[in-house]
Amino acid sequence: MCINMVKVAFKVNGEHIELDVSPRELLINTLRSKLGLTSVKYGCGIGECGACTVLVNGEPVLACLTLTVDVNSKDIITLEGLSKNGLTDIQRAFIEEGAIQCGYCTPGFIIMAEYMLREVPNPTISDVKEYLKGNLCRCTGYINIFRAVLKAAKSRVSR
Amino acid sequence: MSVEFMFIGKRTPRKDAEAKVTGMLKYTYDLEVPGMLIGRIVRSPYAFADIRRIDVSEAVKMGAIVVTPSDIPQKPYNPRLVSINEVTFKDTYILTYKPRYLGEPVAAVAASSEELAQKAAECVKIEFEKIYKPILDPLEAIKPESPRIHEKIMKGDKWIEVENNIAARLDYDEGDVNRGFEEADVIVERTFKTGKRYHMQLEPKAVLVVLEPGGKLTIYTTTQTIHNTRILISQLFDIPESRINVIRVPIGGSFGSSIQTNYLVPIAVALALKAKKPVKIAYTREEDILDHSNFVFHFKIKIGAKKNGVFTAAEFINILDVGAHQVQPYPLLGTSLGWFISMYKWKNIRYRGIAVYTNKVPGCALRGYGAPEVQWAVETLVDEIAEELGIDPIDLRLKNYVGKGELFWGQGPTVKSIIKSDGVPELLLKGKEIIRWSERGHPSEKKGRFRRGIGVGRGFHTSGAGGPISGEVIDYTGCILKLNEDGTLDYITALQDHGGGTLDAHVKIIAEELGIPPELVNIATASTETTPYDVCTHASRGTYVGGECARRAAQIVKQKILEAAIRIIGRVVNPEALRIGYDKELKQAVVYVEGTDIKLTLAEIARTSWQRNWGTIGAFVSYRATSAPPSFTVYYVEVEVDTWTGKVKPIRVVAGVDVGTPINPDMVEGQLHGGFVMAWGMAFTENTAYDPLTGEIMGRGLITDYKIPTAADVPTPEEFTVIIAKTYEPTGPFGAKGLGEAAMNPAVAAILNAVYNAIGIRFYELPVTPDKIIEALKEKGELEW
Amino acid sequence: MVIEIPLVNITARNTHIIPFEFEYYEPRSLEEALELLAKFKGEAKILAGGTDLLVKMKTRIIEPKVIVNIKRIQGLRYIIEENEHIRIGALTTLRDIEKSTIVEKNLPALHDAVKVMGSIQIRNMATLVGNLCNASPAADTAPPLLVYNARVVAMSTRGKRFIPLEEFFKGPGITALEPDEMLVEVIVKKNNKGSSAFEKVSRVVVDLAIASAAVYAEISSDGVIEDSRVAVGSVAPKPIRTRILEERIKGLRLGSEELKKAIYEIDREISPITDVRSTAEYRRHIVKVLVWNAIERVYRRIRGECV
Repeated sequence: MCINMVKVAFKVNGEHIELDVSPRELLINTLRSKLGLTSVKYGCGIGECGACTVLVNGEPVLACLTLTVDVNSKDIITLEGLSKNGLTDIQRAFIEEGAIQCGYCTPGFIIMAEYMLREVPNPTISDVKEYLKGNLCRCTGYINIFRAVLKAAKSRVSR
Repeated sequence: MSVEFMFIGKRTPRKDAEAKVTGMLKYTYDLEVPGMLIGRIVRSPYAFADIRRIDVSEAVKMGAIVVTPSDIPQKPYNPRLVSINEVTFKDTYILTYKPRYLGEPVAAVAASSEELAQKAAECVKIEFEKIYKPILDPLEAIKPESPRIHEKIMKGDKWIEVENNIAARLDYDEGDVNRGFEEADVIVERTFKTGKRYHMQLEPKAVLVVLEPGGKLTIYTTTQTIHNTRILISQLFDIPESRINVIRVPIGGSFGSSIQTNYLVPIAVALALKAKKPVKIAYTREEDILDHSNFVFHFKIKIGAKKNGVFTAAEFINILDVGAHQVQPYPLLGTSLGWFISMYKWKNIRYRGIAVYTNKVPGCALRGYGAPEVQWAVETLVDEIAEELGIDPIDLRLKNYVGKGELFWGQGPTVKSIIKSDGVPELLLKGKEIIRWSERGHPSEKKGRFRRGIGVGRGFHTSGAGGPISGEVIDYTGCILKLNEDGTLDYITALQDHGGGTLDAHVKIIAEELGIPPELVNIATASTETTPYDVCTHASRGTYVGGECARRAAQIVKQKILEAAIRIIGRVVNPEALRIGYDKELKQAVVYVEGTDIKLTLAEIARTSWQRNWGTIGAFVSYRATSAPPSFTVYYVEVEVDTWTGKVKPIRVVAGVDVGTPINPDMVEGQLHGGFVMAWGMAFTENTAYDPLTGEIMGRGLITDYKIPTAADVPTPEEFTVIIAKTYEPTGPFGAKGLGEAAMNPAVAAILNAVYNAIGIRFYELPVTPDKIIEALKEKGELEW
Repeated sequence: MVIEIPLVNITARNTHIIPFEFEYYEPRSLEEALELLAKFKGEAKILAGGTDLLVKMKTRIIEPKVIVNIKRIQGLRYIIEENEHIRIGALTTLRDIEKSTIVEKNLPALHDAVKVMGSIQIRNMATLVGNLCNASPAADTAPPLLVYNARVVAMSTRGKRFIPLEEFFKGPGITALEPDEMLVEVIVKKNNKGSSAFEKVSRVVVDLAIASAAVYAEISSDGVIEDSRVAVGSVAPKPIRTRILEERIKGLRLGSEELKKAIYEIDREISPITDVRSTAEYRRHIVKVLVWNAIERVYRRIRGECV
């Protein structure tokens, strides 16, 4: 069937959303402009920088390369959803370790760090590099981000 | 000098931390206002062409707002206001019929959505009068037979002819260079060329222009300088400054990319004025790379030295490829010279600098404003001379560097001051131990596929561009500090925090001066109409210049608080006996007299001043620094070269820095990490190459082919050591100096000196890609394949 | 002579959005999808992972009139081990392959390749079949599948055909698929005698290959190559098998000068170019090192010295 406006229904940060969208609408623009979730950052639009990373059914997805029609009936988590009940251990570690500078890439990094700790609760530095290598940062040289993620992992494991 | 501080030098969370880790902080692209239109820019499909006419009828029929050069004041401008007007060269037009690089804005449209604006932009038809072959090499551009990219430009308020595509020039002579070289036992001469790097700040540039009722303009934009943005818009559109308000919006990194008013700002203003509606333009990444990138540097440097390791003369020829338009290459000719002169005591100097137009993306400042390039070249040559003379490279540096008590030319010939703090010996000697310099060996001893080497690079950056006399560069700042009615304070400044924590440093300085906790100080939202002028958050001046301004304001406020306290206490107190401090029991700042029961909370003082109509306790300070002291950096780097693949890997880094008093040590570390990684990219991967036929950035200008280091390319925390020299800068706030650029400047030199130590090959053209390493190994007969 | 300077329509590109409209279809079955392809012929593009297609649309390299999103079709995402074969479905992502123990055990070169492709986000979205259909000379999954003698299954309303992967690639961005055909499956025959490995070199860790090489080899316990298949990427208009090389290295010992010399034979089979990523000369050099390294890794694998 050919579709020109599509009714989509999906969950964002636990909330049910129903929208009519054009098939060419990108998830990044739906989340940012229609739902006000501006933690999802545009950095390149071609999947190179990771700033628009969100979790779709628990898996990391680049919102700049995803059609909104494609998340129909799926469950999306953005950074806004991760910290609904206060700062997470990762967010606290980012603050404590000086892992933030300009902050523009930070949401993407925190989403990926969260995903990694769910998959690999006890990561090595190589794991951290592997999971975060798709997120570009131009300020920190990544080093304090590594520290923060390893620290959060430690605190999560010991909990 | 050792001073005990309450807050300075201690870790405190940055004030914007929570907003950043939760993604709640709004950057320019995140801003929306009702009724806003989205603007799109129509860009030249040719790198060098003259337009006959632009047909907008179809776009207008669609209902789009369209502007072309005919709708806009055709005044040449320079997007960066930093030099005084007499030496500001102006060749840029908001929209142009004479595009001089591929992607130059020629028209713009605005519509209710980005999709519609895109469609309208594609409907604009451009008819060309003439299309020229792009000139991409400055050495070709200066040939008399090359077509002129610009014919007439303005210098200050006068029109001048451009000859041989030379945009600006600067010469300088000191001493007798010929005699200096005659006296030399060793002379080394080399040519160097850099890549054309791109800032790749994570947030692409954006602007939102709102037409307020009554016609006033409010501008939100990615900028390092709200005031210069306002001045420029005022000049371009003949609107009084009082009718333009530029708001400071958090910025997603800059590194110089918004040191100027970016091209989209006046374009959005033109659209908003025509539409009488708010207009937002946000660059896509592929547009951002077309807005500005760095200059390309071509150096020829000759240095002479005596057997005992004393330099006798230096000659420096500097050809800057500025791209299609000037974004202050003239001061860059001056700073390049300044960086060069302030590295070592050359004694006799000859400098010839020209800035040349090409049909490339206009060059603008990129972290260091020429210093990473100059220091890479100089530190390479110093290593070569040390080897020729058989002197340890560290000893040679210690012997010749420009240090304490000597004249320092931070930002060009008109910005000079005497160096008062200097951690170079400490950093060179400490770092040498940590990296195990003595074990590094000679390249000739190194065999096998994987070879390791250790290199050193020493350099500096200035803290701002202040000085004892006013020269060609504008540099002053201002701030307001006021005590609120409950004892908290609002700190108001036009300075920007690019991410390095500049404004948090100011808060700590204020807190230290007042003796109150930083939590009491609010960083107020700022705009041009509520702040005194500040030139720009650039030149690593945020902490040093802005911080000292804040300290002075705090000093005044403190005095006034004590005066009010005396008034409340109501009995005779020696004002000098009064102290301000934090009372842990009361959890408040208090004014007290030691050894007595006299104690007033700051809140009480503030409230009393309010309730008794004494007026607001506050300070307004406009401040120019009388010095631009160098922050010295020393990098020791160990690398491993895979001689089969030509790939280089970082093994260990020792980053030493002299920032005077570190206001926030963890942010100092963060700057060094980031500086090193940016240098790694400059050394090995970063370049925008141009298609010789079309003048397009190769790889379609996508960052798929502009590679900055990823998390998997950099050292681990264990492999990276930071040392902070114990120095105190007497002219800085609590002894502090700047850092942002010093953090990177000599790192490229250290990295490539390490490559030399590993394989015995020097590279004079950046980036040093694997193919160059393999080619060089082959030439040397050391390629095993 | 007047040189025609080509126009570069920069204004048309916009990576904020998809800058043009298209007809959109979301078939629920393979049959429905094939009918759509038959109907629209070359005007339709299949959307699976989207990581290549949407980039090309945003930057106006392609402008399809019709998009057929196959992601809602059930039963196309699988990695199945079946007797002597492993079958991989059209919607199987690179991350699925990375996490598959079947692939790790039986197709180590393919496993190596997906691990060094893009970021985890990209691997989570991109499909193996998409990587093949994109037909980039730099497609990292191609050299491993070439050394496995993989076949692909193309389907249309006209029926089904099996195409050896080597015949599938025709040139940069060009495949053997007819406009109405869809690549539905990749079939790889298991081979337990030897082992395989993949090597690549790139500018930074997350990047397209400057060059790549995959080797399947049977190597005796004392290090003599008894049989091999070698394929390379980014050194020709398409990923290629290098049969002259394979012939020449037979019977040679690992680490020997003879082997090194024999690897130079690859020069006769490759035709690298200089582009924004590297130079032809470097590619000519590095591909040899990559082949050498891959052979070494295969041997270590056979000896159980690495996974």
